[in-house]
Amino acid sequence: MKIHSRFTTVVLASLLLLTFVNACGRVPAEGTKSTIAVSGAWALYPMMVRWAEEYQKSNPSVLIDVSAGGAGKGIADTLSGAADIGMVSRDLSAEEVAQGAFGVAVTKDAVFPMINAKNPVLDELLSRGVSRDALIGIYITGQVTTWSQVINNPAVNAEIHVYTRSDAAGAAEMWAKYLGGNKQEDLLGIGVYGDPGILEAVIKDPSGIGFNNLNYAFDASTGQPVAGAMELPIDINGNGQVDPEEKLDTKAKAIEAIATGRYPSPPARALFLVTKGKPTGPVRDLIVWILTEGQQYVDEAGYIQLPKEQLQAELQKVR
Amino acid sequence: MEPENTPLATWLTRFQIHLLRLSRQNKDRWAGKMFLGMTTLPLVLVIVMFVALLIRAWPILQAKPLWALLTGQTWRPLRGEFGLYPFIMGTLWVTAVAMALAVPPCLLSAIYLAEYARPLTRTIVKPLLDLLAGIPSVVYGVWGVVAIVPWVKDFLAPTFDKYLGFIPFFAVDNPTGFGILAGGIVLAVMVAPFVIAITYEVVRSVPDGLREASLAVGATRWQTIKYAVLPQTLPGIIAGIVLGSSRALGETMAVLMVVGNVARVPSSIFDPAYPLTALIANNYGEMLSIPLYDSALLLAALMLLGMEMVFNGISTLILHRFTGREIA
Repeated sequence: MKIHSRFTTVVLASLLLLTFVNACGRVPAEGTKSTIAVSGAWALYPMMVRWAEEYQKSNPSVLIDVSAGGAGKGIADTLSGAADIGMVSRDLSAEEVAQGAFGVAVTKDAVFPMINAKNPVLDELLSRGVSRDALIGIYITGQVTTWSQVINNPAVNAEIHVYTRSDAAGAAEMWAKYLGGNKQEDLLGIGVYGDPGILEAVIKDPSGIGFNNLNYAFDASTGQPVAGAMELPIDINGNGQVDPEEKLDTKAKAIEAIATGRYPSPPARALFLVTKGKPTGPVRDLIVWILTEGQQYVDEAGYIQLPKEQLQAELQKVR
Repeated sequence: MEPENTPLATWLTRFQIHLLRLSRQNKDRWAGKMFLGMTTLPLVLVIVMFVALLIRAWPILQAKPLWALLTGQTWRPLRGEFGLYPFIMGTLWVTAVAMALAVPPCLLSAIYLAEYARPLTRTIVKPLLDLLAGIPSVVYGVWGVVAIVPWVKDFLAPTFDKYLGFIPFFAVDNPTGFGILAGGIVLAVMVAPFVIAITYEVVRSVPDGLREASLAVGATRWQTIKYAVLPQTLPGIIAGIVLGSSRALGETMAVLMVVGNVARVPSSIFDPAYPLTALIANNYGEMLSIPLYDSALLLAALMLLGMEMVFNGISTLILHRFTGREIA
């Protein structure tokens, strides 16, 4: 008898719960916070977190949930509705736009080649730099396999350990684009997950080469290169040596090189926020705020402001 | 806002009244049906998943012959080349290395815990093992990057290169430390708690009478284990290993972070590999803009499901053979 009555109780309890849930579903969400889910590029993640903090201070009713997982995930999440805003660190493809991706450029940064601070030929690399052709040989054709080939000194015998991103990433996409208009899938090297992951791999490997977004290449608080790693100067003008303006050993110099356009684009690029269709409601308010008031935090977060005219143009697009 | 007025609520209320009026026999029948329904649900889910994946993977199966996809060695989605062979091999290599590393110590420690250890040791070690099973896989991945990859790079790879480098299986062409061995080590630690827990339970389930009989005729402890206990438990131990392998096969995050992710067929335990799980996790976001990409990734998922099924099928067959009866 007892078993049966207990069984009835359990069934009734679950049914009552169902009724309750059913009723609750009809209550309009009054006075609750509206949540904006943001997902995507590692490159934009630190900036977005800062914006989210500041925005939530002045708009306590909005809850912003930021997660990083690569540009590709950002777009996929946005188009599938899993996120309200996608952070994207590369240009949108025609197919993505056709599916309703609506991109707004909000700031700028760049991708830098990175080497270990104990690289066997560090001094030569820092004085001569690396040419785009050498990088193509390392990352695309695979013809450059030793550091001696990079500095044209056969006396040194040290292999290059090439690292790339395993996850679909805007940084890798831009890096491949810089190296002869290629795509991420054309990049050679051991695939490591995420911006911090590839940096960690380079820091752990004296013969390693990788690439990082601006905010992972330099320490956020000091503006110096992250301990154990260095930005590998690119010999942009091809004169066989690193000129003072090509030497980007601090974040300030790197930022200046990007802002003035001296650092080539790609790998410098605009960073986008993407929504499915034109943004509305709280999402639109947030994006407008980012394009106006939010811009004051861009410098201190270590990003580069877009030119005034472009910001105006982006604002027109949203409004 | 009045729940009583909604059709579902009305129906539920009526249903509740109806339930109260049911006779004992009816309730019993109902309960049986409910349990049956809940039991068939997972089975239905597997079939639904299989069909859903098949439908999504269909475009690429139409565009290319299945055999070409399974044996193709080049993965260049932008050029329309979708060879899955390196990924299948990557999955098998990493799983095999992980199980080869995990199984011997796991069996020994499970037998120790079940047969030799004092109750106090058991009460200390068992919860620790359970804790190991509960650690999120991304934590294992970080541990792999921070500890295992450098260890492989600075110690294992040079040592193997020096003494065993002439064997292709141990050749070191990739000195970065990221590769199958690092993935295998991380995975071995991850599956260990499962293999140990199951083996332990199985060994403990052998009736003490068997042990007493064996000890009574003068067998040593090890002889008792070897001749009386283990033969009884072999199917259960195989089941534990299979469960561990299934987990290794499907593990994603921890492997992805240390395995190197290069789409090439490995030939040495130091080569980088690219398992199917990592392929899906790394690229699922990027599939949108490339024709057939999405379809190819879902085909990879389908293959993973297929591999798990084949794996479990074979193990069930082995068990069946061994015992001559059905193993639950």
